[in-house]
Parts: sequence; structure tokens; C-alpha cells
Amino acid sequence: MDKPMKARPIARLAAPALAAAALLSAMPAFGADAAAAQALARDNKCFTCHAIDKDKAAPAWKAVAAKYKGNKDAVAILTKHLTTGPKVKLGGSEMDHPVLNSKSPDDTKNFVEWLLSL
Amino acid sequence: MQSFLSRLRQFFLRPSALSLSAVVAIGMLSGLIFWGGFNTGMEATNSLAFCTGCHEMRDTVFQEYKETIHYKNRSGVRAICSDCHVPKDWMHKFVRKVQASQELYGKFVSGVVDTPEKFETHRMELAQHVWATMKASDSRECRNCHSWEAMDPHKQQPRARAMMEKGQKEGKTCIDCHKGISHLLPKEYTGDED
Repeated sequence: MDKPMKARPIARLAAPALAAAALLSAMPAFGADAAAAQALARDNKCFTCHAIDKDKAAPAWKAVAAKYKGNKDAVAILTKHLTTGPKVKLGGSEMDHPVLNSKSPDDTKNFVEWLLSL
Repeated sequence: MQSFLSRLRQFFLRPSALSLSAVVAIGMLSGLIFWGGFNTGMEATNSLAFCTGCHEMRDTVFQEYKETIHYKNRSGVRAICSDCHVPKDWMHKFVRKVQASQELYGKFVSGVVDTPEKFETHRMELAQHVWATMKASDSRECRNCHSWEAMDPHKQQPRARAMMEKGQKEGKTCIDCHKGISHLLPKEYTGDED
């Protein structure tokens, strides 16, 4: 009687690999380059209004990350926020949020992913 | 043996062989030379060439400053190192120059920032000293050129106007919001230090 056919090694690895990839892609922070993201923030003078831990004129980034925790559209929402200059309330005044000046969409994406990882 | 004090007493009380007017003239001339020389020397240490004469400043903060509005701008007004880092009035300036002796120790003895890498290691600490000094003096050196009264909000960008109004209302001082205006921010800076 023939032995039951074993799955090929590659096929046996595929399922967990795909699951891991799906899990990692759902974690926006994974792989974000924190140093590059913070350098972009410094260059754009974000820290004039924002800080990582505490609220200044604008909300702390950890509070922003907490607000969007679990939101699958978080990356898209924040990317739009940073690239379109929407109106924001600051100290009772309404003003345009500065558009993030980055060299490439990848830099912006990295920044957003880092922010959401906080 | 005469004590030092009694010799000093004699020096001041013993009549001079010179006439009174000659003594006064020599005294005034000596004072003029000493005071003029001292002030000229102190002013020489305020020049851009002096500040950038050492590679510690020339290769780091000077290069960053050259990319900023305080170095080059549409109206051709330049604020050099001493305009922002050395008080204008004599007493505060003298105190700052005495403090600078510590920088001489760093330059000639410890070599604390004698490579760009070492400078980067200490950038946060150095920046925090400057920020604390500016905060304590209500950004006195910024205010040598800038003042609320001289600003025309209508000529500012809407966002700048809103932020300036907010800052004024909250009693903020220039350095509260304008860190890194002429130099790179330290890589450890997260905005939480304010």
C-alpha cells in the first residue's frame, strides 16, 4: 500500500509564512525607521507644536497613536492629514496644518508608521 | 621689612615729583589705553571670524547656520553668532565672556567636542544650556532685533499670525517655540523637553 503523500516542504512553509506576512502588514509600525521619521519631524519643525509624550499646542503623538489604535484606515487617514494641509484647531484658532515636506511618499509612509507605533 | 600694605599706603600718599596735572594726564591716558584695549579685545572675540576660527564651531554649527535665514535672507540683514549668543549690554557681556573661559578649557584641555562625532554626542546637552539661558533671559538676545511691538501681524502668514498671537497671550518667550531656528535640533529632542 502506498504511503500517504507528504506535502512538499515549500508548501508546508507557505501557510505560516503567509499568516506571518498578513500579521506583519497589519502592524503599521513594523520596520518603521524611527531615526528617519524623527529626522523628518525635526526638519519639518513638527516639534514646535507636537511632542511625543505630552500635549503642546497640538496633541501628543502618543495620543494620536492611541486614538487610531486598531483602525485599519489609520495610515491612510494620517497620510491624508499630512499631505493635504487640512484645517486644524489650534489655541482657539483655525489654521491649515502644514504639509509634510518629505522627499518621497515612502518617507511619509515611514513617518506615519512610526507615529502609529508609539 | 615694610609690609605690603604700608608700601601700598606710601605709594598712594607720598607726593609725586610730577605736577598734579601731569599725574592726572598720565592716569587718564593709562585708563584710556587699558579700557579701550580691553573693550577692543572683547569686541574682537564677538566677530564671526573669531567664532568660526576653531574647527569645533566651523565644521558643525556654522555650516548649519549658513543654511538659515539668520545668515542669508532677502533683506540682507545678518545676525552673527554673537548677536544671538552674547548679550549687548556691558555687564551681561562681561559675565558671558568670563563663562566662555570654560569653553577655552574644552578647546585646549579636555577636547570635549573636538570631532564632529563628539559634538553630536554632546549636542543635546549644549543645546539645553543655550535654551535654558535664553529662557531665563526672556530671549533677550532675540529681542535685540525682534519685538512684539514692531511686528505687523497682517504681514505674517495666517498660521504664523495665529501662533504668534497664541504665544503672546500665553506669555511665551521666543525660544519656547523657535528652537532649532539657526542650528539643527539634537536627534534626542522630542518636543517633550519644553
